[in-house]
Amino acid sequence: MTPPVPHPLTRRTLLGSALGLGAAAAAGCSPAAQQQRPGDSGAQRTVTVRLWDEQVEAAYRTSFDAFTAANPDIAVRTTLVPFADYFTKLTADVQAGNADDLFWLNGSYIQPYIDNDLLMEIGADFDAQRPGWIEPAVQQYTRDGALWGVPQLTDGGIAMYYNTQLLEAAGVSPAELADLTWVPGGGEGDTFLPVMQRLTVDALGVRANEDGFDGDNPGTWGYSAAQDLQGIYYNFLGSAGGAFQDAEGRFVFDSPEGRDAFGYLVDLINTHRVSPDAANTNDNGDFTRDQFLQGKIAVFQSGIYNLKNVADGADFSWGIVPIPAGPRGRVSVVNNVVVCGNAAAEDADAVTRVLQWLGSPEGATPIGASGAALPAVTDAQPAFEEYWSGQDVDPSLFAEQGRQPSIGAPTGERYGAALTAWKPFFNEMFLGRLPVEEALAQAQQAANEAIEG
Amino acid sequence: MTSPDTRGRRRREALRPASLLAYLVLAVGAVLTLAPFLLSFLTALKTPRQFASQSPLAWPDPVTGENFAELFGGGGFVSPVVVTAQVVVVVVVGQLVFSIMAAYAFAWLRFPGRDGLFWLFLATLMVPQVVTVVPLYTMFSAVGLSNTFWALVLPFVLGSPYAVFLLREYFRGIPADLLDAARIDGAGTWTILWRVVVPLARPIVATLVIITVVTHWNNFLWPLIITTGPTWQTVTVATAALQGQHDSNWTLVMAATTVAIAPLLVVFAVFQRHIVSSISLTGFR
Repeated sequence: MTPPVPHPLTRRTLLGSALGLGAAAAAGCSPAAQQQRPGDSGAQRTVTVRLWDEQVEAAYRTSFDAFTAANPDIAVRTTLVPFADYFTKLTADVQAGNADDLFWLNGSYIQPYIDNDLLMEIGADFDAQRPGWIEPAVQQYTRDGALWGVPQLTDGGIAMYYNTQLLEAAGVSPAELADLTWVPGGGEGDTFLPVMQRLTVDALGVRANEDGFDGDNPGTWGYSAAQDLQGIYYNFLGSAGGAFQDAEGRFVFDSPEGRDAFGYLVDLINTHRVSPDAANTNDNGDFTRDQFLQGKIAVFQSGIYNLKNVADGADFSWGIVPIPAGPRGRVSVVNNVVVCGNAAAEDADAVTRVLQWLGSPEGATPIGASGAALPAVTDAQPAFEEYWSGQDVDPSLFAEQGRQPSIGAPTGERYGAALTAWKPFFNEMFLGRLPVEEALAQAQQAANEAIEG
Repeated sequence: MTSPDTRGRRRREALRPASLLAYLVLAVGAVLTLAPFLLSFLTALKTPRQFASQSPLAWPDPVTGENFAELFGGGGFVSPVVVTAQVVVVVVVGQLVFSIMAAYAFAWLRFPGRDGLFWLFLATLMVPQVVTVVPLYTMFSAVGLSNTFWALVLPFVLGSPYAVFLLREYFRGIPADLLDAARIDGAGTWTILWRVVVPLARPIVATLVIITVVTHWNNFLWPLIITTGPTWQTVTVATAALQGQHDSNWTLVMAATTVAIAPLLVVFAVFQRHIVSSISLTGFR
């Protein structure tokens, strides 16, 4: 008896499947491949550059078009890798020999690349260009007299964005906001906290400097205190006269100055209630910016990296003023990004020529002209200011603050591991659940253990 | 035909407090399940400025298609969709063909060490994917296949332990008499497999198609590690790449996720009946 065959798979079906598989495999060609085919320009040599910023990538393409026009033998391709995965992927690709010829690095991650001889030294070929790069960037990436990257972007210093309407409603003038001082523990001489209290309003319209203020029912916060390394706590620590790391990269934030700075910040959030609860901000780095753009925070302290977000997102009048001064004045963190040459690149001569181009005013000007970031090449910076003045924004305050005394930017091998180690203690501290003294001591010990491996 | 009495009784049952409570719980569950998708779609219809300056729950006003236009214009999202579709097609066909053959061998063919080999193969289910990523990456780099189409499909195209396990269990449920009868009629192993066993196993095959499509459409870790740049970017990696260090681009990301789930909704619509049966067959969620 023939067995029942409900819906037999015929040879035709199988053949069709096989053909489908073959067709799909044969069609394994990417539409994007046709857009990025090397050699379209007729160049015999191709240099690849890896970075994480989409806006700067667009500016780089403009820059590299000009480069290839002047250097017809070299074509330059860019590779965009999302920031969240950038350093993990770069580490794997460098070890496997798959990394691009040039790649961006920042201060937090460069040290292992230097220690393992994975980068080209920026040596005598660049001597003529070095005076044209901003000094903090050169210093940040110099080890034992050797420079390991060509400065590309600088954040300048940190400043405070303000909402004009909320200031007017509180009777605070921009001039008053521009000249504030914080004092450890608050009290006499502290002009910062009283202004932030005037700017903070609860849901019933009572201000934080008035009787009956209910911090549990916030309406509008005055200030954006949060566990924000670059925007907030490095600057308070620097303004208190403290340091986050010493010259060897060991963590030293558990100091009298550290206790002053972090104690002041934690009080802003948990005692005076002029900033959002840390439950909202500890794990959401965008929270304070989003609340500022929604008109719920009057003063948002951040860097030039948020200039475009504020310009694009704010539907209210806004301005920029300097950060408050601490016991040691206004001290800000200045972070920079460099482009590094891969020591394993096959065509070292072509890589050097592209690096030289990126370190020149001509090569770096498109970055500034796009408004995407402040170039670290001094003569390319006016293009950035011109772009923003065309938008009725004066960003010069960031560059100005960047020329003031600064606190050392994050650095050292295993910095990422250290951050992972100290963050749980900082989370508890900012939530007000762990006393500042204990949190700093435990966080520092964990961070130093992490860098020791 | 239903009588008026029966309809009235059903209506009364439906209105009982216990039933009402059950409907209420189901309605809340449905809202909680659908809300993220609705929020994603509504965010995709907002301008970045509206998203930044208003509550995330605010209705799009004005409704804009600029995020989708940017996605398929400057955003270069066409290529990731095409690449992902190619990967899914190759992997689904490959996994089905090879898993069916392996499962049949483990279920009905007799050879020394069959059961030991099967359990050894099955044990690889317990190895998390992340553990194999580094060795695989090293191997593909060593043979020069990183950042290629084949790097995306080769680790998966030759079948999966999960598929083999499901198919083997299903195949073993087919009566042996049926296979014996086919053999008496002169059918060989190949004919029995493709003309008897596989047609009878259509529900489980449909289930595997669904599972494989969903898994590989959403695969993120391996494509992220093995590919670099736009050429072989898949949908998941391209969506992640839309977020910058300081600019989350939520409206654009939500447009991308809306586009990314559209093919899965089509799969759901086509295989809706099989998905329900697949839940009872596998406990697949």
